[in-house]
Parts: sequence; C-alpha cells; structure tokens
Amino acid sequence: MDFTLSDEQQLLRDTARTLLAKECPPSLVRAHIDDPAAADELWLRVADFVALGGGPLTDLCLFVAETGSVAAPGPFFATAALFAPLLAAIDHELTPAVLAGETTGTVALAGADGVWAANDEPVKHFVPELDRVDWVAVIEAGPTVRVVPTDELPHRLLATIDWSRRLFELDSAALPGTAARLDAATLDEVVRRATVALAAEQVGTARRLFDMALEYAKQRIQFDVPIGSFQAIQHKLANVSLEVERADSAVQYAAMAVDALDDDRRRAAHVAKAAAGTAATHSAKDSIQIHGGIGYTWEHDLHLFLRRAYGSEAWLGPTGWHHDRLADLLFNA
Amino acid sequence: MQLSFGPEVEDFRVELVAFLDEHVPVEARTGFDMMDSGAEDRTEVIPEWARRWQATLFDHGWMIPGYPAALGGRDATPIQTLAYLEEMARRRVPRSLHFPGYAIVAPSLLEFGNAEQQALIPAAIRGDTIWCIGMSEPDAGSDLAGLSTRAELDGDRFVVNGQKVWTSYATVAQKCFVYVRTDPTAPKHKGISLLIVDMDTPGIEIRPLRHLSGAANFAEVFFTDVEVPAANLVGAQNDGWRITQGSLAHERAGLWVEGVSRLESTVQSLVDLVQRRGLTADAGVRRRVAAFYEQAASLRALGYKGFASFAQGSSAPEHSYMRLATAELGKATYELGMELQGADAATRDSERGEENGRWVNMFFMSFANTIAGGTSEIQRNIIAQRVLGLPRA
Repeated sequence: MDFTLSDEQQLLRDTARTLLAKECPPSLVRAHIDDPAAADELWLRVADFVALGGGPLTDLCLFVAETGSVAAPGPFFATAALFAPLLAAIDHELTPAVLAGETTGTVALAGADGVWAANDEPVKHFVPELDRVDWVAVIEAGPTVRVVPTDELPHRLLATIDWSRRLFELDSAALPGTAARLDAATLDEVVRRATVALAAEQVGTARRLFDMALEYAKQRIQFDVPIGSFQAIQHKLANVSLEVERADSAVQYAAMAVDALDDDRRRAAHVAKAAAGTAATHSAKDSIQIHGGIGYTWEHDLHLFLRRAYGSEAWLGPTGWHHDRLADLLFNA
Repeated sequence: MQLSFGPEVEDFRVELVAFLDEHVPVEARTGFDMMDSGAEDRTEVIPEWARRWQATLFDHGWMIPGYPAALGGRDATPIQTLAYLEEMARRRVPRSLHFPGYAIVAPSLLEFGNAEQQALIPAAIRGDTIWCIGMSEPDAGSDLAGLSTRAELDGDRFVVNGQKVWTSYATVAQKCFVYVRTDPTAPKHKGISLLIVDMDTPGIEIRPLRHLSGAANFAEVFFTDVEVPAANLVGAQNDGWRITQGSLAHERAGLWVEGVSRLESTVQSLVDLVQRRGLTADAGVRRRVAAFYEQAASLRALGYKGFASFAQGSSAPEHSYMRLATAELGKATYELGMELQGADAATRDSERGEENGRWVNMFFMSFANTIAGGTSEIQRNIIAQRVLGLPRA
C-alpha cells in the first residue's frame, strides 16, 4: 500500500474537479430542489465516469470526493457506487451497459432501521434516486437479489433534509421477476465499498465547507482586521482542518484495504465512515459559525452543503453505528 | 496498518529485527510507560541499563540510522528510517531515556557548530555525555524569544546571569545548551545567542523541580556570574534564534510513529481494562473506546500519507497535526482509563483499582504532552498560520 497518487490518479482528480466545478454550480443544486430534471444535464456530463464503479475503489473515491464537494445531485452515486459494483459482482447481463453509462440504477436493501443488511421487511427504506433511474436491485433475506425496472413500482419520496440526494421507500411485496441467490460475503463487500465511497464523498463536502470558511476568514474584516487573524477563529479552523485531513487519509487507506482485500478492511471502512462523518458535520457547524449572520441565510450557499453533510452522515450508518460495529470487532462482539 | 516497502527496506528491517532480538535489554521491554510513569519510584534519572543500551545502539549503527557510522548510524534512507521508527515503536523500545543530546544538540552542532564543537557530537549521540537544554525561563515560555538570561562578552569569555526553568536532566547533565541574550537593545529575535556551558562551572545552581505527579526529573537552573569561554559560542553572536528550530530534520517525517503507536497501545489497554472491569456490555463505554480507536487509526493513515508526500519532496505539515492530535488524544484516553475505575479512581493503592495507579499516573503525566515543546495552542497557531496561511494577529 502506498499513499502516493499516481499521475493518472492526479489527472482523474483534477479532471473531476474542473468538470464538476463547471457543470454543477450551486445554482444547479438549488434548481434541483424543485425540479429533479435540472440535474439531467449533469448526468450526461458524468455518465462516462460510471466506469469507475467497475474498477479500483481508490479511483472511484477520488471522483466522488469531487461530487461531494459540489453536492452533486442525480443518479451518479447510486449507479456508480451501489448498482454497478453489485451487478459486476454477480456478473449481471446489464453490467456492461451500466458501466458504459448507458443506463442507471439503484439498490434497495435497508429496512426501517436504516441498516444496509439483508432483511425480510417488505418495505425497503432510504433507497436513493429511485424515480430518476432505470433499474433497481432489490435485495431480500437469503440474501437474494432481483433487478427490476423502476417503472410503476410502488414508492414514496421521503421529505429529506438534503435535497441534493433524494431518498425513497419502496414496497417490494409484489415485485415482478425472479430472485437470484446472492452470496452473503459478496453483499458484504458491495456495502463496504459503497460505505467507503460515501465517506470519500463526505470528505469532499467537509473540504468544501472548510474552504469556504477559510476563504471567508481571510477576507472578512471586523475591528479593522481579517477575522482570520483572531486566535478563536484560527483554532477552530486548525481543529477542523485536522479532522478533514485525518478523514481524507482514513478514506484513502480504507479504499486501498478494500481493493487489496486486506484483513483490516472491515475496521478500516468503519473508521473511514466515522471519521468522514465527524469531519463533515464539524466542518459544517464551524463553517456556519465563522461566517456569522450571512451563513445563516437562505441566499448563502452554505446550507446546501450543511444539508449534504448531515444527510450523508445519517445514510449508510451514522458515526455512532460505525463506532458500535468497530467496538464489536475490538471486543469480539 | 503497515505500508509494504521494497526489498531495500524490508532487508533493512530484517537486519534490525535480528539486532533487536539479540540485544534489547529486558528492562527496555516494559513498554512506553517506563519513560514517563514510575518516575516517582525511579531512583536514577537515567539507569545504567539505559546508558548501556544507547551505547550498544550507537556502536551497531542503530542509534540514528540516517547518520553515517561515525555518528551512530548507517546512512539509511528516509524510508528505511521510517521502518526503523515503526519497528522500535511496535516493540515499544525507547532509543534513549534522554533526548536532548541526540535529538537536539547533535543536529544543531552538525549544522551550526565549528570543528571543535562538532567533536562533541558522537558522545552526545552515544549518550556518554548527558546534555540539557536551557531554553524556557519563568517569563519566557511560549514566547521563547522573550528570554532574558544575559551574557556579556568580557574579553575572551561571556559572563552569564539569569535563570532557566523546566530544564530536563539538569541534575545529571554534564553540559547545557544555554540560550542567552547578548544584545538587549536589538529586536527580541535578533539579540539571542547560543552557548555551550559545562554544568560544573562555578556560579551554576541547580534546584530540582517536582512536577504535579510528584516526581522531579526537571529543574530550575540559576546562573550567577558564570564565566563561559567565548569559544563556546555556537554560530554567530546574536544569531542564536534560528538554532532553536534545530531537530533531526530527516526524522521529522517519521516522528509521529511513536506517538501514534503509543496511542494505539493505550487504546488496546483500554479494551483490556473494559474487559477486566466487566464493562463490555456497556454501550456507552464501547462506543467511546471505539471512537478513540477510530481516531488513532485515522491518524496513522494521516502519518503515512504525510510521509508519502514528504518522500516525494513536499514539506510535511502533517507533523504539526500529528503532534497536536496525539498529545490531546493521549490525555483523553488516560482520563477515560481513570473514569472506568469508578470509585477506585480516587486511589492508587495496589490493593484496589487498576495496574497500581498506572492510569492516574499516565493521566497526570500527559499534561506535559500538551504543554512541553510548544503548547497545543501554539501548535494550532502554527497550523493556522503556516499551513492554512491565516494572518498573524
């Protein structure tokens, strides 16, 4: 394992950064609140990168860190980080079309408690982007999986705090198609992969919130000096930057461990999601505090990222849940 | 978590492991705690076995691997040095029980000393000479450049008057690096010089200073008309401030390893403690221990990531992050260890509580880690100003 990014990886990150800054400004995130079709154009720009979902997790993480940084709406994460890896793992016939960005999909798995593990509850919860994708892979107790078109499935859009990620309930009681057996260990790896990818996204969101606060602290003048010269502000920013760097490193390590099927990957994935969630929520809170009154307004873009930070924190296991799983490993259950 | 390196590093590691298997003294295998705790019970500041161990490391080229053989090393590369620090930390083996000589005096003299002064280096690294560092003063702590110990040049000697404080190893040291003010009229960073002072020079008075845990391994040092040969000036007169930044630069990118290893080891001790105290079913306790594990593990990742960028030629700002985080987290982990003992936390009685007062001792001692060598607040200032580019007040 080596934390050095290759030239290709640096190019991927820079390309993603430039592309998403251009194609996903805050105005698009806002437009998407009332009309999810506002993100359709963005999807066309990023569809080529779904192929990353079939490759090393380290590369996918570099890309989704940038989608997290702009709070990108649309089916990219569901398709590239959940649906594509699942289909690739079971060698599903749709895999090539999904990886080519020609069709989109999502995964329905969690029960009412929001835990992403196979269960026999008929209603699946917190399913991302269900009405904006072509396919859904529904995983049931067994585990089994059936991949069905999303047309006319009984679902309900949840009212969420983060409007850049749409979450649904799906009633899977009377689904068409036949369920195929799914290896439990395969499912485990797919969920772990998505969890680390989400952590990477959260680091992107955390970094965006931090960068906004740092920039503001340098230019906002009070008492005739930039507020960033005050120790109270400097120490807040130093603490947050430590958490962001720590989370960033934990995510990169977890992705490398998953790619290498290293024994440490179970712990590393929980560490990554917990560290990233902590970094993103702390960054969000301190960023708004450092912005003062202007950060509390609807007009300012901060709340778009605040929402993404807290929405992602709760999804695929909140920090406390991942700490509990880590404790299970540390204390041998 | 361990990075895998090429054969050039792994061969190096194999040689080191063979050396350690053969030579590590049994007293050095008691773990990190020995370096801090037990000071109350320890009769010698630097026990005989520790002196022999440091000399053995030096003689075999394992004291500072990045240095040449004449200086106790073997011209190791930075990545080999990282492997060395990893292996020592994993085994919890200290190199030395007195850091000033090998970690501060030697690299400073290498960079700024004249030939005569550089002749002092091997003995400083081997531990044959024990050094102390006269930096802090009662009125110059975080604001080190505000120091007021005076040295006036009088012919071929300086006459030194003033007081140093928190001087580690002063009671046993033969020599001291003393920072003095040689130009009281210049701006405070510009009037400082560095002198090498023999501790048996007339006019030096050493008063051991007990710290809050009860032990006394540092001291106040008073200088009254102490005469120091002018030849003992290191570097140019009034140019001593930049020497204060001296450290083992080539080890800097790997110094975090010990801090993180110590933290991980403390987290494992917490896991053991929770089990002994029958608290494994306590959801709150489990979660807090897991949160410490998460922080230690992610810090190790940050350390390796910083090293990767250092190895590629970038500076490694991670060092400031690591120092701040390991010191603060260390304190918090020891405090949890005390808390887990319930009412017994009030005692350090061998019949009660845990590990003969180990947790309270470590907790009390850990206050030094967020103060000495730059407080956590100073570390945050450094991160804010040097890493994040925020303006100074």
